[in-house]
Amino acid sequence: MKQERFVERHQAEWREFEQWLERRGDSARNARSTRREWRGIRDDELPARHRRLCQQLALARRRGYSAVVTDRLQQLMQRGHSMLYRTKPAHPRRAVEFLLAGFPRLVRAEWRCMLAAALLFVIPLVTIFVAIQVKPDLASGLFPPQMLAQFEEMYDPSGKRDLGRTQEDDLEMFAHYIGNNVGIGFQTFATGLVAGVGTVFVLIFNGIMIGGVAGHLQAVGHGDPFWRFVAGHSAPELTAIVIAGGAGLRMGLSLIAPGQRRRVDSLIHGGRRGAKICIGVFAMLVFAAFVEAFWSSIGWMPASIKYAVGALLWSLTALWLLRGGRNAAYQDDEDAA
Amino acid sequence: MLDTYRQVVTPEGVALHLRAAGPVPRALAYLVDLLARAAIYVALVQLLAIPFGKAGGALLMLVSFGLTWFYPVLFEALMQGRTPGKWALGLRVVSADGAPVGWMAAFARNLLRVVDALPLFYAVGLTTCLIDPWGRRLGDMVARTLVVHAPRQTLLHEAAVAPAVAPDQLLLPHEQAAVVAFAERGPGLTAARQAELADLAEPLVHVRGQAAAARLYGIANWLLGRR
Repeated sequence: MKQERFVERHQAEWREFEQWLERRGDSARNARSTRREWRGIRDDELPARHRRLCQQLALARRRGYSAVVTDRLQQLMQRGHSMLYRTKPAHPRRAVEFLLAGFPRLVRAEWRCMLAAALLFVIPLVTIFVAIQVKPDLASGLFPPQMLAQFEEMYDPSGKRDLGRTQEDDLEMFAHYIGNNVGIGFQTFATGLVAGVGTVFVLIFNGIMIGGVAGHLQAVGHGDPFWRFVAGHSAPELTAIVIAGGAGLRMGLSLIAPGQRRRVDSLIHGGRRGAKICIGVFAMLVFAAFVEAFWSSIGWMPASIKYAVGALLWSLTALWLLRGGRNAAYQDDEDAA
Repeated sequence: MLDTYRQVVTPEGVALHLRAAGPVPRALAYLVDLLARAAIYVALVQLLAIPFGKAGGALLMLVSFGLTWFYPVLFEALMQGRTPGKWALGLRVVSADGAPVGWMAAFARNLLRVVDALPLFYAVGLTTCLIDPWGRRLGDMVARTLVVHAPRQTLLHEAAVAPAVAPDQLLLPHEQAAVVAFAERGPGLTAARQAELADLAEPLVHVRGQAAAARLYGIANWLLGRR
């Protein structure tokens, strides 16, 4: 068939398709508001129309029609393609579902990596803490003297000021904690891509630092204000760092030991799950920063209440991670992928 | 590495044409984004931190955190894969099958910038970008995305209508295509250039100059089926 006849025969169809894309495809809100006035192609007809268009494009190419026709069809086809194959829009209900059920399931599915990350973090922490109790001089080997003095000032048991800080406002500390902790969390995960080395380093380093600070304060007798400060937010914060580390190790493993997948496919698989886990880690760290800035710092609160809240948060975190999404009919559609 | 033009066959069995973007336009787009973020930051320092003191400073910290981690994610997920920098350079992020990027993919690819930026100046990203046939950095591989040159709206005209003339010899398919392409692009050229190009077809049309161009238009119309 000559090109001119071909265009003449199908022109109207292409126009309708184009109109649908412009009027209904580009914005969902626009599409909803003009649902009643719309007189063109019905929405459910679109896949069939798209397939017809693809067939016409293939024909046009096969018959060697000129660029005017093939380019136009090509552009229409690409627009239709990105319309039909777009990912589902984010929905608040799906986000809640993910946080309550999907995230704990993902974490449990990677329990070996999580355990490894927890050990890499806790063993140095406890070792340093105990070592400093036995030999308090070790702390000065870890931190410069000005820093030690600053820690001691922050948790001065005689002081009237807020715990764990010098003078800043709660809001400012909240912003500071978020920027700091979420940055650390994300880096813990992402540096796992370097065969897990980065993650291992970050976990051990943070374990030593935290163990060092805690050990030093305990050894010099500033333990009480420190533990009162830490009790509340430690549950979400420390578990979040460990989980980010577990996700990072998982990704490093998928590089070293891809199993029966191609290495790149294994990385993709590990990376997608890891990125999902990072969303949960992000939520946990925001929550932790909130607690740390607005609750942990209250100095006058009796220790018993502080410790009770801390214990409550630890058990809630454990309950959530161990039981969340266990009996739900909810199946994450990308779990299988 | 040399061929950056990629085809993806869609489920319907036709090829999507994706022109993978190389490291230079991507780096430029990144720089534009960097400048944009710096400008937003400076503007907020003036608007928040200076008049509102401590609370303003706190808000500023939150905003700069958001700018670091979520600026590209938001733009890529909401603006069809385009941050302002990519928009300026005519780039867009698409998923590897040509569909628009979703939230997860945008988040994953930007999270892994941390690794691509190692050890300095995106060295890891640049290396993988040069090795990979799609020009992807590690973050792109993990998120199954790639950066492409966005298809520009091509300005093609229909061939000018002229009385159809049958050619006096058989034309091979690629010759036919060349004649039709001339008729579609000719009207956008100056008369002198049209004549110059038409001169090349002297063995077919047996005349030169304006007359040759006119005759080529005639043949093109005949080939297109306008009779």
